[in-house]
Amino acid sequence: MSKLKSSCKLGILSRPDGSVLFSQDETTVVAGVYGPVESKANKALVEKACVEAHFRPKSGLPGVKDRLNESIIRNVCEAAIATAMYPRTSVVVVIQEMQNNGQLISCALNAACLALLDSGIDMKCMFAAVTCFIHKDESLVFTPPINEDQVKAMFMFVFDSVEKSIIASHTDGSFSVEQYKDALSLCKEECANMFDFFKKSLTIK
Amino acid sequence: MSKVRETLITNCERKFLMKCLSEWRRLDGRSFDEFRPLELKFGKQWGSCYVSLGNTKVLAQTSCEIQQPKSSRPSEGILNINIELNPLAAPHFEAGRQSELSVQLNRLLEKCVKDSKAVDLESLCIKTNEKVWALKVDINVLNHEGNILDCASIAMLASLTHFRRPDVTCDGEEFIIHSYQQRDPIPTVIHHYPVCITYAIFNGGEYILADPSLLEEGSADAMLTIGLNGFKELCALHLGGKAELAPSIILSTVSKATSRATVVIEEIKKSVKADTEQRQEKASVGFHTEDNFKTTLVFGQSLDTWHTNKKKRNKKHKKAQPQSQNTVVIDKGSVEHVPQTENKKEVWDVDNNSDDDLIIVEKPKVQIELLTDSEEDDVVILGPVKNKK
Repeated sequence: MSKLKSSCKLGILSRPDGSVLFSQDETTVVAGVYGPVESKANKALVEKACVEAHFRPKSGLPGVKDRLNESIIRNVCEAAIATAMYPRTSVVVVIQEMQNNGQLISCALNAACLALLDSGIDMKCMFAAVTCFIHKDESLVFTPPINEDQVKAMFMFVFDSVEKSIIASHTDGSFSVEQYKDALSLCKEECANMFDFFKKSLTIK
Repeated sequence: MSKVRETLITNCERKFLMKCLSEWRRLDGRSFDEFRPLELKFGKQWGSCYVSLGNTKVLAQTSCEIQQPKSSRPSEGILNINIELNPLAAPHFEAGRQSELSVQLNRLLEKCVKDSKAVDLESLCIKTNEKVWALKVDINVLNHEGNILDCASIAMLASLTHFRRPDVTCDGEEFIIHSYQQRDPIPTVIHHYPVCITYAIFNGGEYILADPSLLEEGSADAMLTIGLNGFKELCALHLGGKAELAPSIILSTVSKATSRATVVIEEIKKSVKADTEQRQEKASVGFHTEDNFKTTLVFGQSLDTWHTNKKKRNKKHKKAQPQSQNTVVIDKGSVEHVPQTENKKEVWDVDNNSDDDLIIVEKPKVQIELLTDSEEDDVVILGPVKNKK
């Protein structure tokens, strides 16, 4: 099984507190983090920070799918950021799609993690997302096939760095329980590589 | 609410900027009519383009769909331009909401490209009164460091030039859209390339700065935007703010802008051509390619290459430094201490130790040639050391 090629460039934007250009395979996103910043009056929480996630598609207005991505990103980030450290403020996470080759959500999540690390905000743990696909011929791969209708199912798992436990799971298509378990263990192996990659890219910076 | 997140420009900063301007200096070391470095990159998809003008960064994507034409223009395609101020660019930008700034930028871009009829809309017609192509250019501002308009106009033009729409055939009744694999896609016909060039005006035209940065933009009296094409034709002119400008100043600024327009248009054409050639050679293209991650970590690659790159660069810098020991180049070559030599015409007489007597070279781009002492016959060229980090 071929592993995915990941590359990142931290701090590419001057305005956000943390930013990254991140690509996995051919999927590329830019992520930026502002925070903690002044919160909107109706969003401010008394005991913790509010996480605002924005996901911008390349063209057109954000649709239902983009809203779904947004909510996944928000939920995962909320779990990872030490929100209790920053009451009555907002942490703004913005993801801009640059190029999409299938594993957009996992790429966006990994970029969000790197951008958060780059911004230096307090976090409870790091998180890494891995996507894998089931072909029509039942084989399990990381790279999506060129033809989209060759995909039978798609799995996306997010793991935390402390306990290496699963913090989010997102699936698409039909599959058996066995296949789900296979995909989970495969992605868990791969996520260790991702954490390694995160650490290396931070030390280089 | 979003006002709280906005970065305000303090009186202190403004005063300091004005003081620098009175000494004919800019904060980033550029000369008054110097622009920030321009860089264009293309994505894997047709019509996706990433442009950076200094630290201002913009992503443009052209897309197309088939629509019914407007009844007033039954044989013309449709061009839509949409600029989005992404919350990534500045904390006070709100996603999906139009602001005064975004409407103004959108209108200026439309004025520059749509109203000057730069894109041949009639070639986008498939069947009169029934089906035409509607092109849409989405511009996402990624980083706001001043002068969004120039950057966006370059990105838009590059994206339109780069874009190719699928071929369509009609067999009497049905229209068939051929995929990119089936038939070669068709490029858009562009008659001329109008680019926006912005100048910031201070003190009623006393100081005119090209390509203003965020601070300069915020403290300027007025902004003069000039839309020009490669034939030196004026496509748009917009003066925003409050400044009493003499017509002669506007005319002289326009003539200054023409040379810049030619350079920018050449750059756009050159990069689109280079990208197309790369595609023809079946080389991998797109934002994911390694060029975009230079000097950063690529997964699976050892760290050694990065370190050697760094070392090499350091060596280069040492070589680039002038060999004469008495010569010190300070900050991007804009200020220089030069020892006393016989050639008085091109060398200044400065005490090496006193910092007060720095000599300011107004235009750092100018290369200064000077002859060292006659024993060594070589000529030392003190070029501005760029990209020195």
